[in-house]
Amino acid sequence: MDNNIVISTPPHIKGKRTTKCIMLDVLIALIPAAVMGVVYFGLKALLLEAVAILGAVATEFVYYFIAQGGFKDKCANALETCKKWLNQFDFTSAITGLILALIVPVTVNWYEVLIGSVFAVAVVKMLFGGTGKNLVNPAITGRIFMFISFTLTVFIAPNFEAIKWWDLSANLIPDDGVLQVGATVLSGNLLQGKGVGTSLLDLLLGSGVAGCIGETCKVAIIAGYIYLCARKIIKWWQPLLVVLSCGVLGTVLMSVQKEAFDIAFFLPSILSGGLLFGAVFMATDYVTSPKGFAGQVIYYVAIGLFTALLRHYTKIEVISFTIMLLNLVVPLIDIYTVRKPFGYKKTSKEGK
Amino acid sequence: MKAIKGKSFFGGVHINDMKYLSCNAVTEVLPAPEEVAISTLQSLGKPATCCVNVGDKVKKGQLIADADGVVSSDVFSSVSGEVVKILELVGAHGVTEKYIVIKNDMLETEQYFNALENPTPEQIKERIKEAGIVGLGGAGFPTAVKGAPKTPVDTLILNGAECEPYLTCDHRLMVENTDEIVRGAKLIAKAIGVSNIIIGIENNKPDCIAAFEKYEDIKVVSLKKKYPMGSEKHIIYATTGRKVGVGKLPADSGVIVQNVATAFAVCEAVEKGKPLFERIVTVSGKAVKEPKNLWVKLGTPVKDIIAYCGGEACSPKKIVQGGPMTGVALANYDEYTHKTTSGVLLLTEKEAAKNNPTPCINCGRCADACPMLLMPMNTEFYAAAGDYENAAKLGNTLSCIECGACEYVCPANRPLIQAIRKTKAAVCAKKC
Repeated sequence: MDNNIVISTPPHIKGKRTTKCIMLDVLIALIPAAVMGVVYFGLKALLLEAVAILGAVATEFVYYFIAQGGFKDKCANALETCKKWLNQFDFTSAITGLILALIVPVTVNWYEVLIGSVFAVAVVKMLFGGTGKNLVNPAITGRIFMFISFTLTVFIAPNFEAIKWWDLSANLIPDDGVLQVGATVLSGNLLQGKGVGTSLLDLLLGSGVAGCIGETCKVAIIAGYIYLCARKIIKWWQPLLVVLSCGVLGTVLMSVQKEAFDIAFFLPSILSGGLLFGAVFMATDYVTSPKGFAGQVIYYVAIGLFTALLRHYTKIEVISFTIMLLNLVVPLIDIYTVRKPFGYKKTSKEGK
Repeated sequence: MKAIKGKSFFGGVHINDMKYLSCNAVTEVLPAPEEVAISTLQSLGKPATCCVNVGDKVKKGQLIADADGVVSSDVFSSVSGEVVKILELVGAHGVTEKYIVIKNDMLETEQYFNALENPTPEQIKERIKEAGIVGLGGAGFPTAVKGAPKTPVDTLILNGAECEPYLTCDHRLMVENTDEIVRGAKLIAKAIGVSNIIIGIENNKPDCIAAFEKYEDIKVVSLKKKYPMGSEKHIIYATTGRKVGVGKLPADSGVIVQNVATAFAVCEAVEKGKPLFERIVTVSGKAVKEPKNLWVKLGTPVKDIIAYCGGEACSPKKIVQGGPMTGVALANYDEYTHKTTSGVLLLTEKEAAKNNPTPCINCGRCADACPMLLMPMNTEFYAAAGDYENAAKLGNTLSCIECGACEYVCPANRPLIQAIRKTKAAVCAKKC
């Protein structure tokens, strides 16, 4: 017997799954969307994804290096600090970078994505304390930061050849062929009440549809969703709540506007824009979602409802804004949705 | 009676039970050790008062410490010999316990109670009390206290779930001593005046279920393999569908739960007059050479038990007394068995939990695993900040049964049970 016996509180055995495994699973689930982005939008998309991931990881490293005193004593502990960083690296910043790249259109410049990812990791995540301490989803906040800073490039939804036969109003496509503000199916046609303008299959596959790099191919997102559910990273009903509540309220609002029941709006409204991507990958972010079942139901339904409401009145895609908005009220939801312990109900009845 | 399927409950975790290491090892009797050190603290509640002096000759089965108050239990000598020392040691729980050291003279002279034939309920209750029987599942609640419920009771549940991984002591007992368990259960049922006896067994022990199906007057419930199925509140729910309220006792729902080993001890005490001074201990883990199930006398040094099982196969990372989910980590082998010691486990580095917490990512797995529907992450969060009041309020910590399911599933290795215990202690200290 040697001296390395460990004494601790029970349990003395532990499940195998660690934070690193979970984050790696999320990264794997994002791969289909990332690949389809490159297929549809070309190598520029790959460049943006790479820049965003590298930028995010490098930012985390630099922040960690400085915070842990890597520069102290003429970089005496530099190597050690690097090793420490590698040990604690859990892929969260890589996910932030990749998601950020997937929710911007391919028209943005690479340095804009870089600035966005540096902002997302340094300001939104690391300044608040790193993994698990951020108040809002870093990728979404990074996108909103870019949206405000580089409105012209971020807001233009790019497209490819298929757009030529679209039944779009002339003012949305100028003569030089470059698309203007908000020319996705969602904001260009659907929310203006002009009908879909493209087939549902195209919407599902993302072929010939304007949009952001990772958000257009819904099949890839659904593949990621199935993977996440199968690996029990997220619960299957969480994204569905967002999507369904958004679709239902959107349909109702549209029906009221047209003064006729319009079920045809339902499927296009959930299949266009960034709703699916947001619901599967961004709303379900552990750190910024409520802890208990009741809180989660409130949170996901609220995201869906707010998205439908804001979409209807602003005529643009707002999923990232709603998620950020709801992220901020999560602590409040948590306090009011503490669940009752096993057997609680019975005693309260007996008490009466 | 043919086994019926039990209910499941919310939460819980599926753990690789590792019972294959020792579940087929037929129980052996550990040779009596040279010297035993018997603690006077053998149950929940107060320690017993020592009633022997250094130099006294004692017989096997003789009373050496007298129960102090209601929630306390008598302690008996497990060997015959001479009291050589009475000393105070800090036990594995961190509590200072009084140990009575008896040198074994190997004569095995016995001093038992009279065997009872056709006992009345009063006689059985009296015998359970005087034989020092405690709940042998792990908590060590004196059985005599459970046997005197204040509310009407209609069902006796025998707990044969043994949901803790590694442990197989109840498994072996159920296979080898089925008849004694049934007779013991009937005696307990007679004492508390009920006729409905249910035994709950997890379905990973089909041989035990088959053994009990032969008895017509016992209802066998096959339980889903899930940790913590053997928790008192959960086995009541799984077998009868009744929920025990927060802060209530099982008797308030009309049930009494007894471990199968307790039923066996009652049978021995009544039919043979033998007080409780030995029990089956599972010795297991990948770091022990020959995993075994042993009849071990009270106060046997852990050192002797390990030596009998062939010693270490490789150097262990953790030594655990009891089950791996709720047991106590030992610093070395200088520890003595208690009435509640159900196992001694030597865990290798690969098996043992690692202690390198990473930040909580709020994944909610602890809340999904919690069988009591608590919020362990809230407790941990507020306890780390020293705000125990909010920790208890937002985590409902006082209802926690400390099963360890939350910490088992935590991907960030957060020390949740530690935080929960700290919170409980802080709240209790404030109330007192």
